[in-house]
Amino acid sequence: MFELYALGVLEPAEKTEIEAHLARGCESCSHALASALALNAGVFSFAPPVKPRGRLRRRLLTSVGVHYPGWGWVWAAGAVCLLLVAAWLGVEERRRSFELADARRALLDSNGERDRLTQALQFLSDPQTRPASFGRGQTAPPRGYVFLHPQMGVLLIASNLPAAGPGRTYEMWVIPKGGAPQPAGLFQSDGMRALHILSGPVDVSAIGTVAVTIEPAAGSSRPTMPIIIAAPIGS
Amino acid sequence: MLLLKLLPAGLAFAILQVALRLADDADLVRRLKAREPHAMNDLYDRYGRLAYSLICRIVRNPSTAEDLVQETFLRVWNRVQSFDAERGALGAWVLTVARNRAIDHLRSVDGRMEAGAIDLDHLERPGLFAKLDSAALAMDRVRRLKSAFEKLTPTQRQVIELAYYEGMSQTEMAERLKQPLGTVKTWTRSALKILRDELAEAAIA
Repeated sequence: MFELYALGVLEPAEKTEIEAHLARGCESCSHALASALALNAGVFSFAPPVKPRGRLRRRLLTSVGVHYPGWGWVWAAGAVCLLLVAAWLGVEERRRSFELADARRALLDSNGERDRLTQALQFLSDPQTRPASFGRGQTAPPRGYVFLHPQMGVLLIASNLPAAGPGRTYEMWVIPKGGAPQPAGLFQSDGMRALHILSGPVDVSAIGTVAVTIEPAAGSSRPTMPIIIAAPIGS
Repeated sequence: MLLLKLLPAGLAFAILQVALRLADDADLVRRLKAREPHAMNDLYDRYGRLAYSLICRIVRNPSTAEDLVQETFLRVWNRVQSFDAERGALGAWVLTVARNRAIDHLRSVDGRMEAGAIDLDHLERPGLFAKLDSAALAMDRVRRLKSAFEKLTPTQRQVIELAYYEGMSQTEMAERLKQPLGTVKTWTRSALKILRDELAEAAIA
């Protein structure tokens, strides 16, 4: 029963008896106790193996004043890498959002251009459209055509039309016979060509001239600059 | 060397391993006594997992087990000066301290055997382990002991587990199992005899 004694689970009477023997220096009892301790240690090692967490070693060594670096530096390096990756992802995201916005703008522009061309084609193909030309016989550009349609409005197609310049825009005017010029929209030239449409019904027979001037970027209510294009509309 | 040539390779390796481990344990105890900074790390490397597994088996709570492992190793660190580096079985001592810390915890939680803590403290003095066979935890021995344990009857195994892993006296076991005290004593005695005989045979072999 030395095993139970060594485990501290022996009944009080038996325990007292063993302790009395050991106190007398009984050799066989000492030997039996040593064997019991060895057996007990063997049984203790039967426990199913469980892996302790890494922090236990750190806690233990810290408690006896030993600095244990452990894997802390790996976590620190990992954190730095994560920060770098996060920063890079942020920059990439920003760049992509700019690219996406540019692409959207380009798509809108091209959609607008397509709509304008479709509208111009409708103008040109409709039998009610009445053409007028300008710039013929002039040595300097621009030249082109004006098309009038009672329901669709006025279409201006110009070539050899230079860019209006910084802070400037082209403005089209519809000038009624014997009347004051009416603003008919702003447009820009790509440096060579320009296409502009004034949408909506117009009284074709009342229009005397379609003209274009260069105006400040916001446009004007009355022409302020010299006339660049003047297309007289025949009756 | 001649002996090693005559032995099967596996057995020779096991003997060599035990010899190296024992030499290492004596050296480790010397380093612990000298308070070398990395000695505690090596002690933990060698017995930390065993102690943690044993304590987990007893208290069944990883967080409590961590506290008790820390307490175990601090106790060993503080008492190692009285440990006999040449003759003592370091592993057996560490596991005994670990088991006693866990049983003390169980007893304090259950509120049973107030004087138990003093008893267990008394039973883990480094001096007790000086006469121990230092190969107490040799792999081959433990394997044989475990094989004998697995051959015990279910009731024999149960009383051993209650004594070793729950710190129960035979009277407490009799109450728990609702069996006469005499029956429990018979089961315990016969189980321990089987294990003891196996260990004695292993020592002769």
